[in-house]
Amino acid sequence: MGLLDVLPWRRAKRSVPAGDDEIFDDEFQRKLEYLALVSRRVFAGRLRAERRTKKSGSGVEFADHRDYQPGDDFRTLDWNVYQRFEKLLVRLFEEEEDLAIYFIVDASASMGFGDGRKLRYAKKVAAALAYVGLANLDRVSIVSTTDAISGRMPETRGKARIFKALRFLRAVRADGRTDLGDAMKTFVAQNKRRGLAVLVSDLYDPAGFEKGVNVLRYNKFDVFVVHVLDPSEGRPKLHGDVLVYDCETGDEREVTVTPKVLTRFAEAFDMHRADVERFCVTHQVPYVAASVEVPFDELILHVFRRGGFLR
Amino acid sequence: MIFSGLPLAELLAIFGAVGVGVVVLYILKLRRRVVVVPFSPLWERILRDKEATSLFSKLKRVLSLLLQLALLALLVLALGDPRAAESLVQGRTVVVLVDASASMQAVDVSPSRLEVARGEAKKIVRGLGGADRMLVAQMDAMVTPLGPVTADTSALEREVDAVRATDTRADFPRALRFASDVLRGVPRGEIVVVSDGALGEASDATGPVHLGDARLSFVKVGSGRRNVGVTQFAVRRYPLDKNRYEVMLELTNTGDAAEDVELQLLGDGALVDLTKLRLQPGERLPRFYPQLSGASRTLEANLALADGVRDDLAVDDHAYALLPERRRARVLVVTAGNAYLDAALLLDEYLDVTDVVPAAYSKAIATGGWDAVVFDGVTPAEMPRAHALYLDPRGDTGPVKVGPALVQPGFDKVDRRHPAVRFLALDDVNVSAGHRLVPQAGDKVLGASDGGASPLLVAGDRGGYRFVALGFDVRDSDLPLRMAWPLFVVDCINWFTDEDAQYLSTFRTGEVWRIPVAGGVAQASVKLPDGTTQSVPVHEGRAVMLGEHAGFYELTAGEQATSFAASLLDASESAIAPQDAPSVDGKAAGAPEGFRMGVRREIWIYLLLAVVLLTALEWATYHRRLTV
Repeated sequence: MGLLDVLPWRRAKRSVPAGDDEIFDDEFQRKLEYLALVSRRVFAGRLRAERRTKKSGSGVEFADHRDYQPGDDFRTLDWNVYQRFEKLLVRLFEEEEDLAIYFIVDASASMGFGDGRKLRYAKKVAAALAYVGLANLDRVSIVSTTDAISGRMPETRGKARIFKALRFLRAVRADGRTDLGDAMKTFVAQNKRRGLAVLVSDLYDPAGFEKGVNVLRYNKFDVFVVHVLDPSEGRPKLHGDVLVYDCETGDEREVTVTPKVLTRFAEAFDMHRADVERFCVTHQVPYVAASVEVPFDELILHVFRRGGFLR
Repeated sequence: MIFSGLPLAELLAIFGAVGVGVVVLYILKLRRRVVVVPFSPLWERILRDKEATSLFSKLKRVLSLLLQLALLALLVLALGDPRAAESLVQGRTVVVLVDASASMQAVDVSPSRLEVARGEAKKIVRGLGGADRMLVAQMDAMVTPLGPVTADTSALEREVDAVRATDTRADFPRALRFASDVLRGVPRGEIVVVSDGALGEASDATGPVHLGDARLSFVKVGSGRRNVGVTQFAVRRYPLDKNRYEVMLELTNTGDAAEDVELQLLGDGALVDLTKLRLQPGERLPRFYPQLSGASRTLEANLALADGVRDDLAVDDHAYALLPERRRARVLVVTAGNAYLDAALLLDEYLDVTDVVPAAYSKAIATGGWDAVVFDGVTPAEMPRAHALYLDPRGDTGPVKVGPALVQPGFDKVDRRHPAVRFLALDDVNVSAGHRLVPQAGDKVLGASDGGASPLLVAGDRGGYRFVALGFDVRDSDLPLRMAWPLFVVDCINWFTDEDAQYLSTFRTGEVWRIPVAGGVAQASVKLPDGTTQSVPVHEGRAVMLGEHAGFYELTAGEQATSFAASLLDASESAIAPQDAPSVDGKAAGAPEGFRMGVRREIWIYLLLAVVLLTALEWATYHRRLTV
C-alpha cells in the first residue's frame, strides 16, 4: 500500500462491486443441462452418482470376474460362465459415484478493476459451470480467494442448489491482494477430498500464479485454469507523464507514456498471457482464455467444448 | 565582440540567476497524473527493459536541459546587444560646426549661405555610416550644441534646421575647442566646419587650438564678395550743449570693385543727412558729422548701392545708435550766496536749480524729488536722501568727517579715472585754506594734498546715494576762475544722474553686454529688435546678455525702462569673400570623409531567430517524446 492510499478516491477504486444479477437465461440454462464437466481422473466418490469410481459395486458397467466366495450374493454369479466352464465366478461392476468440483474464483482487486467486468465474467463462468456440475449430480463447492480464502460455499449437489451458488457468487466482492500460492495452500488444507479444481482468475499474482496451480497439482487436484482476460487492459488509453498505481499492492512507478511504451506494454501483456498458456500446456493443465469481449454463451457452449473442458 | 546593451557582468548575473531557476525546475519533479492499473508488474517489465537504455534517457534529459540553457544563453546574449568589435571601432564621431555668423546671411548663393550650409550639413548627415554618430553645433559668437551625439539621422536633420543666423562674428577657436573636447578619447573623431571661411585664426588668448587625433574637414560655402558695410558708428552729445551731437562712422568696401553708395543718416526716423560716396576696392572711409541737431533719441545709418542693387550682405548696411537721454535734473542749492556756484549751474540748461538758504533747507528737502543737492559751506544734521555735493563741509554730520585745517593745500594727487574729475586740470589750483577730509572705507579720494596724504576731494556712496565732498571753500581759491570749476560742478551732477562720457551709443553684437539697471532687481526683461522678449539676469547692477542681433532694444528692470542700440560694426564679417580651407594645429582641413557600408550588424535579431528555431525544435521533440 502506498502513501497515496489515504486518498479516498484512490481507495474507492480498489473495491469494485460486482453487479451480477444477470447470470444466464432459461434457454441458456437448458443448454447447460446437456453438458458435463470432463475430469481426466477418476476420483473416489461418496454418494452414488454418474461418475465411475475405482470401487466395483452396483453399477451397470461390467468390470471383471472373480472366484465365488461364500457369502457372495448369488445374483452376481455369472451363470453363463458356469455353464461353459463349470466354474463359479462372480461378476464385478464399476460403481458410479459423484465428483467433487471446486470453483475457485479470484476476488482480488484486480478482478474488479475498471467497471468490474472481469469479476462479473468470472462469476458467470463459475455459475454456469457450477450448474453443469450440479446437473450431473456432482458435489460442487465454490470458494473466493484473494491472498487467502475469502469466502466458501460448502459442497452441495443437485440442480436445486444452483440458487445457493448464485447467492454466494452475488455476494462476492473484489478486494484485496492476489496470492494464489497462500490461498491454495489454505484451500487444499480445508478440502481433503480431491477433485476437479477450476481456477477462474486473471492470474495477476505478483508472486506468480504458478505457485497456486502447483499447490493444487501437487495435492492431486485435477486443475482447470480459466484465464479471465480483459484485452482493453493491454491497450490502455494513456499518454504523457503519469504515475502508475497498482490497485492491489499500491506500488507506484513514474512512467512517461509514449506510443512506443504503449506498444511495449501491449507486447508485455500478450507475453504474460502466452506465459500462462505455456505453463499450463507444459504442465498438462487445461487452459482456457476467457476474454470478456467474447460473448458469454459462446464461451461456455463452444470455447469450453473445443477445449475439452465440457462434453 | 563587444556588448553595446547590458554589460557583460550584468549578463552573467542574469544568466546565473535564471539558469539556476531553470536547473531547479528540471530537478523538481512535476506532479504526475495518477493512473490506477490492475497489475503493475507488467509496467515494471517494460520499465526494466527501458532502464537498460536509462543512460540514453538521462542523456536525453540532460540534452533537454542543455537546450533550455542554450535558449536562455541566446536570450541573455540578445539583451547584451552584441556587436562586432570592429563595427564600433570603424564608426566615426563627427562634430559638425555650422557657421551662423553674420557673413552667412550673404545672398551671393541662393537662397543664402546659411541655407546652403544647412543643405551641406544634411548631406553629411545622410552620408553617415551605420556606426557613425554626429553632433551638430551652431558656431557664432558662442558655440551652441543643438543636440546630443547621436546616430539618429532624423534628429540630426531637425537640429540642422534649427541653426539660426546671428549678427555676430564666429568664435572659431571656441568652437574648435568645444569640438575637440567632445572628441577627446573618441576614435575616428572628425570635425566638419561648414562655413564661408571668414573664421580668423584658430587661436585665442590661451594659445593655439590643438585638435588632438581629430580630423578636420571643411565645407566651403559662398562665392561672391560684393559688399559695402558700415564698420564703425558712434554718436555723442556735446557736454555743454546737449541739444547738439556729433556722429562718427566708417564705411568699408570689401569687394574687389569700386562702389558708389548712398549713405542716409536718420534721426528719430527722419532724414538728417544724405550723402553719395564712392569707395574704392578695399577702401575704409571714415565720415564725421559735427554739430548735428534735430534728433533727440535714435540715430540710424543706412547704406545702399547707388545703382539700386543690394549688395550681397544686408546686415552690415545698417547701424544703430542711441543718444543719451536728456532730462531736466532738479538741483537744490543750499547756500548763503555763492555767485560762482550759481554761474556754474547756469551752464547746463537742463538743470532746474533751486536756491535756498540753510534755514529753509529742511522745508525744501522735505518736498522730495531732488536729483542732487549742493551744500555750500553748510552741512545738514542728517544726510539727505539724494545725491549731494558738499562744498567746504562742516562738522561730523556729513558723509566724511572734517579733519584738521590745511594751509595752502593743493591737488598733489588727482584720480582722473573718476567721472567727476575726468579731463579736469586741477594740479595748479591755488587754495589758501581748507580742511583735511577723513574718508571712510570704500570712499574714493579724488584729490589730495601733501603728496596724497591729506584728502581734499572725496567721492563715495552712502545708503545708495552718491556724494562728492570738497574740503575748502571755492572762494578761498582760484578754482572758480578756471574752466575746471563749472566742468567739475556739471560732471558731479552728471555723475549723480549717470550722464557721463562713458555712455555707449551702440553696442557691438557678438559681445557680452552689461547694461546698468537701477534698483536691486535680480532679473530684467529685454525686448529684442524682432519684438520678442527674453529675460536676462542682473549681476552687480547690470543686466548681462549676449548680443546677437543689431537694432534697438528695450530693457525693463523693475519699473524702470531704458533703451540701447546694437550694431554689427565688424569689418571682418563684412569681408564676405569666401576663404579656403583653414589650417589648424598644423593640419589643413580636407574634404569630409564618406561613410563605409556594412558596418552595422544587429546580431541580436539573429539571436532571437535562433531562440525561435530552438523553441520550435524543443516543442517538436517534446511532443514527440524525443527529449522526455
